[in-house]
Amino acid sequence: MGTIDVYPYPVPEEKSGQQVVDTIQKQLELLGAHKSGNFCVDCESYQSNIQTATQQRLLHLFHNSEQPATCFSVLDSGICLVSDLLFEVLVLKLTEKKTGKECYYQQRKGFKVESKGQRYELGDFIVKVGSVILASNFRGILIEVEYCPCVIPSECWNLMKEFMQSFMGNMAENPPAHIKSKMDTIYTPEDTIQQYLEHFNNFRKATSASVPATPNR
Amino acid sequence: MASASVNVSVEAVQEHKIQEVTLDGQEIYIPPLSMSENLAKLAHKIDFYKDESEDKGKPTSEGEKEAEEEASKAAVQPSLWPWDNIRNKLKAALTEMSVLLDVLNIAKEKRYMLLDHVSQDAPEAKSAIQLMAKKKGLQSAAGVLLAGAERLKKSQQEMGNRPQNEFHIELLKLRQNWRLKKVGKTILGDLSYKSAGSRFWQGGSFEVIKNTNIASGEGDTMASTRSSLEVVIPTELEGSAFVQVEVKTVEGSMNLTSAILRMPHGLGPYPSDAHWQTKLEAAQNVLFCKELFSQLAREAVQLKSFVPYIVVGNQIISNVFPNVQLSIVLCHSTGKKDKKSQHPGKVEHNHVLEHSLHQLLREVHFKSLNMSVPHPVTATIGVTKRRRMAGSEAIGRRELLEMTESETLLEQIIKQTRHAVLRLRTMKVIDAVASKYPDPQICAHWSCLNSSLESNVRVIITSQGYEAMRPTWQSMYLEIGVNDIKVVTRERRRIILSFEEKEIEDLILWQISQHHIAVCQSLARLLSWQYISHSSATGVGEMEDFATASSVLLVSPNSDKAIAVRSGPTTGLHVHMKSDAKDIDAELASILEAKWHNLTGTFKEVDLNRIDGRNFATKLELIMASVTRKR
Repeated sequence: MGTIDVYPYPVPEEKSGQQVVDTIQKQLELLGAHKSGNFCVDCESYQSNIQTATQQRLLHLFHNSEQPATCFSVLDSGICLVSDLLFEVLVLKLTEKKTGKECYYQQRKGFKVESKGQRYELGDFIVKVGSVILASNFRGILIEVEYCPCVIPSECWNLMKEFMQSFMGNMAENPPAHIKSKMDTIYTPEDTIQQYLEHFNNFRKATSASVPATPNR
Repeated sequence: MASASVNVSVEAVQEHKIQEVTLDGQEIYIPPLSMSENLAKLAHKIDFYKDESEDKGKPTSEGEKEAEEEASKAAVQPSLWPWDNIRNKLKAALTEMSVLLDVLNIAKEKRYMLLDHVSQDAPEAKSAIQLMAKKKGLQSAAGVLLAGAERLKKSQQEMGNRPQNEFHIELLKLRQNWRLKKVGKTILGDLSYKSAGSRFWQGGSFEVIKNTNIASGEGDTMASTRSSLEVVIPTELEGSAFVQVEVKTVEGSMNLTSAILRMPHGLGPYPSDAHWQTKLEAAQNVLFCKELFSQLAREAVQLKSFVPYIVVGNQIISNVFPNVQLSIVLCHSTGKKDKKSQHPGKVEHNHVLEHSLHQLLREVHFKSLNMSVPHPVTATIGVTKRRRMAGSEAIGRRELLEMTESETLLEQIIKQTRHAVLRLRTMKVIDAVASKYPDPQICAHWSCLNSSLESNVRVIITSQGYEAMRPTWQSMYLEIGVNDIKVVTRERRRIILSFEEKEIEDLILWQISQHHIAVCQSLARLLSWQYISHSSATGVGEMEDFATASSVLLVSPNSDKAIAVRSGPTTGLHVHMKSDAKDIDAELASILEAKWHNLTGTFKEVDLNRIDGRNFATKLELIMASVTRKR
């Protein structure tokens, strides 16, 4: 486990998402990276269902193929719970309706986001080019770059920046917002999830802004 | 009477009655009745036709009698006043309470009355009859005890008379150590390791029978030693077995290591009339060896390696290193055949390897029985603690993959063998070099804390008599692993050697040559010679077979003599000394000072063999001391 930076990659109007992904992958292969399987980060959202509470709260449930035995759950407040996969069973129980009672959480329909694609290894770096799919529609591209030997972001930021600029151009001028606040702390898998959550939320917002006629639930 | 002091108040309870408790915990009360409602309710309860006096029990006091009369009067005219009935009862109760209080007062306080014990006449003592009765009782008790003692004595005698190897006693002893069960009329036992975690297909059931031969025996001493219990062991488990592990070089038949696996007791055929314990233990050993071998054979077939493992009959052959083979043989002698297969000549076998072979299968057994407790209890069984924590600690894919990998028995044995071979080789090479080159002393300090896969040795090269000069110590640290040897030299250089013996030997020779240079440097410092130059890799002179030669140039305190030492791992030591440049004219005009004479001169080699001293350090010191001129 090293340091991971996640960046969105813009898709120009005239190109399709797959074309852009192909270009990035080709660039990576030219750099000498080799494929090492697929990856997938997915997120499902649940909203609380308590009548008395004034505001509905969201619970985001994440899976990362890099930590296959783990299930991350993030609240609105940013609190992240790292737990075993068995936690899903618990969430399932919470979403079940019981006789005479409403369920505690409800799954938000059409809110499932996932980013999946190829995983590349290049020396100490792992690069993952993921296409973001929201409710089975392509929404954008997220590029995840991991530098394995270092766990403190500030120590390796310059190195990573240089590497990322070699195939992403000027996308990676600054560290991601989440990392910026904790440059000198030890990087954990939670931080990856927080970065993905931020990007996923942006994609969702963009979607609901572009299609205002059909608000989600 | 104290009746006036008691006040009784009649009042409705202030609490509201609860009619119902709803599911959310709310209580629904019944509103209290108003006075008139209450009255009506109470009046309903009165049975006006019932005669009150009939129910009364016998009167306890005079007051009660009066009350009874009153009550009966009231009952005659019940319609007069509905409360009358209750009043009467209360009054009666009050009277009784007052009487009770009075009685208590009288009894408690001594001034009213005094209670005295009534003395009775003692009954007449009929001592004679009592004595008789006691005697009779005692006699009968004694009779019971004596009968019991007799019975105990008898049974004790029977035990003593009975032969020591009586069938049932033997059976009891057998039962204490082995698993037995009764099926129909036969008694079956199980000697397999299944209860200890083995999953071997072959069962180890044996039958227990009564030995009838000795019952009709001739009363010989032979018969008396024989047991009346016999075990019938299946034929495939008869005899004795062991797994022989042999490491051999392919060309020669010389063994580097040999180990014999056997159970703690008795190897070799046992007599057919041996004790059942011996028989069972031998059979169990056979079963264990068979399981071990079949496990190894299965793994050998399944495992993929560059040089495939060969399984032929009861032998598994695998290549440990080039030219070195590990052969595992299952030797099973049924006791009737010859003893050729048991290699009686091999007494010197590796105890460490023998022990580890023992352990490996036991460990497998242990693991299949002892699994870590699942948390929570509904989770899957047999998950290690690390795997259990993997989820909440967000352990990555690679670590999870590593967790699933497990080594087979054969791989472990091969690893251990490799290490054993490497260690033995290293040991031999160090010893050989140490005895071949007596000049610098070579000491090997083997660490006592070894594992079966790793051991350490520190090799220290010193010159005899100069051990106190610490800078001359050439020490290196060898970490012997499974496939290679890691070496850390004195200057913290890290070298990884392969399994070839030659590499260790070369390394030691190179270190010896380095040691000579270190000796030169230290001696120069000691004798205040000047240390002009040093090269650890001289490019001139004879070529070395490996590594490089080092050289050092020393100049005497007067700067008139110079010594050049060249030390190579294969070319050996060469000491050259610069003699005076006598061919140059001392009064040459161009030489302004005497020191310029030192610039010229030719080096001549010193024949070290002709110089006294037991080693190079002494010789060099002697040379340096003898050529130094006083100022």
